[in-house]
Amino acid sequence: MGIQEEYRKEAASLLSSGEVKLVIGFGPGTTADRRRAQFARTAEEAEKLVLDQNCIANLTTYLVAGGLLSDGKKVAIFLKPDAIRSLNILISESQVKPEQVVIFGYAIENGEVKELPGRSIGDFANLGEKLRTATPPPSVQQEAEKLEAMSPAERFEYWQDQFSKCIKCYACRQACPMCYCRRCIVDVNQPQWVSTSSHTLGNFEWNIVRAFHLAGRCAACGACDRACPVNIPLRLINYRMGKEVKEAFDYYAGESSDQKPVLASFNQDDPETFIL
Amino acid sequence: MTRILLKNKLDDCIAAWQKAGYSVLAPVQRHDMSSFDEVQKGADMALDLILPERTIKDQFFPQTEPLIKYNISKKEIASETMTPPEKKRVFFGVRPCDASGLAIDDPLFGWDYKDDYWFKRRENSVIVSIACTEADDFCMCTSVKLSPDSTKGSDVMLRPLANSNGWQVEAVSDRGTALLESVSSLLEESSDEAAPVPEVAPKFDVEKVMEWLGDKENFESQFWKDISVRCIGCGSCTFLCPTCHCFDIQDEGDTYQGIRRKNWDSCSFALFTMHTSGHNPRNAQSTRWRQRIMHKFNYYRDKFGVNSCSGCGRCTRQCPVDMGITETLQAITNLPR
Repeated sequence: MGIQEEYRKEAASLLSSGEVKLVIGFGPGTTADRRRAQFARTAEEAEKLVLDQNCIANLTTYLVAGGLLSDGKKVAIFLKPDAIRSLNILISESQVKPEQVVIFGYAIENGEVKELPGRSIGDFANLGEKLRTATPPPSVQQEAEKLEAMSPAERFEYWQDQFSKCIKCYACRQACPMCYCRRCIVDVNQPQWVSTSSHTLGNFEWNIVRAFHLAGRCAACGACDRACPVNIPLRLINYRMGKEVKEAFDYYAGESSDQKPVLASFNQDDPETFIL
Repeated sequence: MTRILLKNKLDDCIAAWQKAGYSVLAPVQRHDMSSFDEVQKGADMALDLILPERTIKDQFFPQTEPLIKYNISKKEIASETMTPPEKKRVFFGVRPCDASGLAIDDPLFGWDYKDDYWFKRRENSVIVSIACTEADDFCMCTSVKLSPDSTKGSDVMLRPLANSNGWQVEAVSDRGTALLESVSSLLEESSDEAAPVPEVAPKFDVEKVMEWLGDKENFESQFWKDISVRCIGCGSCTFLCPTCHCFDIQDEGDTYQGIRRKNWDSCSFALFTMHTSGHNPRNAQSTRWRQRIMHKFNYYRDKFGVNSCSGCGRCTRQCPVDMGITETLQAITNLPR
């Protein structure tokens, strides 16, 4: 039995027994190679879930939307390694109680779906170390190196061109599991801290605010980058912020579910070079 | 015999229009994105795209537009109304769905108040559309009773020649006739045939959709909750839509000086209907999604006699969660009756 069939069967039985109230998985999308989030509430619906190499979305976004877990009931969810990393961050930030989540873990390797054994977050404790030491995707690294090689003026021009495309649709924010704030700073309008206008300055403000708010909290799942309808390479911002945090604090976000959020905690031996 | 414009005359055509005082805009691919922008020659244009990612609407109703500048000093209060630009523009290579979008929005911007920012641009623009020869899985013009060669909203319609050497040329408005007149020496008579228009199979039954939406019993239907559960509430569908037109007025600056701006807004955002009291009449994504569909296929039609959708499919094509209106309208079409 393939992993898809195995997970369908188990998801169906979790729903029939009432163990979970919902299974968040994937279903067929608009085109042959698109997969979309599918929400199964009955065994029959669970039998239709899809799991293949096109299931790339990070579904943890739905765990923190609309008070889904506020009734204390359990939810099962299909997660690949970067999404498990996101779940670790959500747990460490007290947004999700680990006992409420049943994980159907999978990895996509060389176009094949592989099972990641385990059903609770504790079963994936080794994953963090593995991810931490893995090399980032070469394409992102190469793009980042190209940027690093630019002069500050060239780099500024690059981001000006990219951010000038931003239409402030906030798809990056909405697709991101870490953007769970009930009211985002850009939606606070009394006073209006951040300009809602999507002129170049307003677009810089938004994208820089977001980059800072995600420093040390990003699982590099790429949801924002894929969501952006105007193709701003948000992956490069996240990559750089992740690198900064790693270098400054030797911290890798989402390595485990019991790590302390790096910018919300301190160690006595933290570098203080920024204090004049 | 029909009049044709050969591709090798396009640069001369652009130069002639520029000489006559027009800027020429066309789909371009810049900084990893396709949108309408100014071009100097045919080679700058990305005419092979099924559709640019951004709509032509952006060029008539920009994402942010300054309206008034104000300055308050001890002596006086000064304000300056920022007038819309009156530059003459030719839009070349517009797809029929985008051109239709402009025509769909005209009654809205001229309804209880004539929006100069829209109409000054409309009056100074000539829309040269190119009929589609290709469609993708998301195109749905035929579902909203338009077609890949619909002339709605266009001033000139070009139909690509089967031999790919150029386009058959047809003026569909007085403005289009005048524009073609200015380049008549560059056009020639030919019997070359036009490439076939692609088949775009209807994806939903718009009559059934309108009927279901018009039944007030369905307003509180569980259908809205079920269909919208995947929606993450971003504004991507709104801002890529050739007909969405909602905006917000924002003052940028401080008590003494600043700019009042008209910024795009989206009914997908919770903040869109948030009251000062904190009460939000559309407090769930399902109610916001319902609003989007109702506005397009019920309220707008009631008011202006046309649906607020030209079938471009961008809402689905570029949706981060593979949603968009097509799926909802298909589901409504297939509801048991």
